[in-house]
Amino acid sequence: MVVKIRLARFGRTNQPFYNIVVAHARTARNSKPLEVIGTYDPVPKKDPYDPSGKLHKDIKLDITRAKYWVGILEPKYRPGLPPKHKPTVVKD
Amino acid sequence: MPPRIPCNSCQTQQLFLASLETATSKSVVPSASLAIRSAAQCPSTTSCGNRRVFSTTLAKEARTKPTDKLLLKGKQPTLQKRLFLEWIEKFERFREPSEMNYLSRVIKNWEGQPVAPNQPFPCNPDFRSEPVLSEAAREKIWHAVIKNGMPLKAVSAQYGVDMRRVAAVVRMKEIEKQWEREGKPLAIPYAKAMMKMLPKAELNPGDPPFEPINDIHVHSYTMQQLFVPVSESRHFTREDAAKAFGDHILPPDAKMRIPELVSMEKRIAEGMDARDAQALFIQEAAESERKLAEREQARLRAEEARRIRVQTNRFEFRFEQINAEEVGPTGRARNAVGWRYGVPFYDRRRGEVKIPTKVE
Repeated sequence: MVVKIRLARFGRTNQPFYNIVVAHARTARNSKPLEVIGTYDPVPKKDPYDPSGKLHKDIKLDITRAKYWVGILEPKYRPGLPPKHKPTVVKD
Repeated sequence: MPPRIPCNSCQTQQLFLASLETATSKSVVPSASLAIRSAAQCPSTTSCGNRRVFSTTLAKEARTKPTDKLLLKGKQPTLQKRLFLEWIEKFERFREPSEMNYLSRVIKNWEGQPVAPNQPFPCNPDFRSEPVLSEAAREKIWHAVIKNGMPLKAVSAQYGVDMRRVAAVVRMKEIEKQWEREGKPLAIPYAKAMMKMLPKAELNPGDPPFEPINDIHVHSYTMQQLFVPVSESRHFTREDAAKAFGDHILPPDAKMRIPELVSMEKRIAEGMDARDAQALFIQEAAESERKLAEREQARLRAEEARRIRVQTNRFEFRFEQINAEEVGPTGRARNAVGWRYGVPFYDRRRGEVKIPTKVE
């Protein structure tokens, strides 16, 4: 069975919050995964005492576990890496 | 049961009265005709004559003040409203909010006893209006901490104000002063009106302490009765007692907010000069606060070390490194990363308090 690293949406209406999970590809989005390796909060936030008002997004991640899963997953299911069959265009 | 007046007869009588009043200056003829008609409609004129059939509302309304008439907006006052207007005439001081102005000053409770002056509701002795720090008192605290650089514990002990309140006052004052510098509008009239109506503490020298500052939180584990067999020769201390209640229970000496105050009193009891002891207390308090600040800095540094910042053109992504394997034996540990599976999330349960309990 295919295993993927993907996001599971939790939170509320207009207030998303994602678990970064490792799960079988055929299981439902919010079903119990093999492992939760982190969270992703897509709502940009300000620092409370920063007058510049710059926005940031918080991601919690177990980098060791993420590397482990990336190592054993099939290459085309590796997030963030280009699939091998896609030709790279080299410009002069 | 008292005899009832038929409502149609009463209405005609009122109509008669009203027409009399309006028509007296012009002519008597139309009103006289009305009077005859009403007399014909009232079936028992004799019984009507013995009782007060006319409403006194009109006369009352004529007596109400122009301000009250505005209050009524042209409506007939209800019984409660009329009673209230009569009452407020007696106690003019309650008409407009002014200085601390509780009903308890003029009212006695149901037992006929006078009510305590800080009890706003005469029938509720459990609700007492506690004094708040006045504007000058808050300025004093801010000045002592920020301008004179006194430790919070020392300021707390000097004025008899809880340490947390001292910290909160300093934070709020700082924000107020920052807003003043930025030219942001402050709700001063509102603050003044509120302060006028509340009892205040000025924190003058010689005043009683504002509140107890060194109270100890009583853990529920220590509320139970416990029988611990101890040999007579053993020296059983507070630390031992705390351990007997539970491994994580702290002894009262460790739970105190300002333990330096106790050591100061001990030194004075041992014969140290009070001024020296106080100077030593301030020194110790400053030292403990410096240590606390250092610990906090170290915590922030450690947190920053766990974090990787990736700058993009729109947002900064902050990757915080966590351990995904701390999920407990069932995989549902409370502090495990992420939304929990198979556990109801109670954030919308009725009565769930969502007000933040700390300042970050």
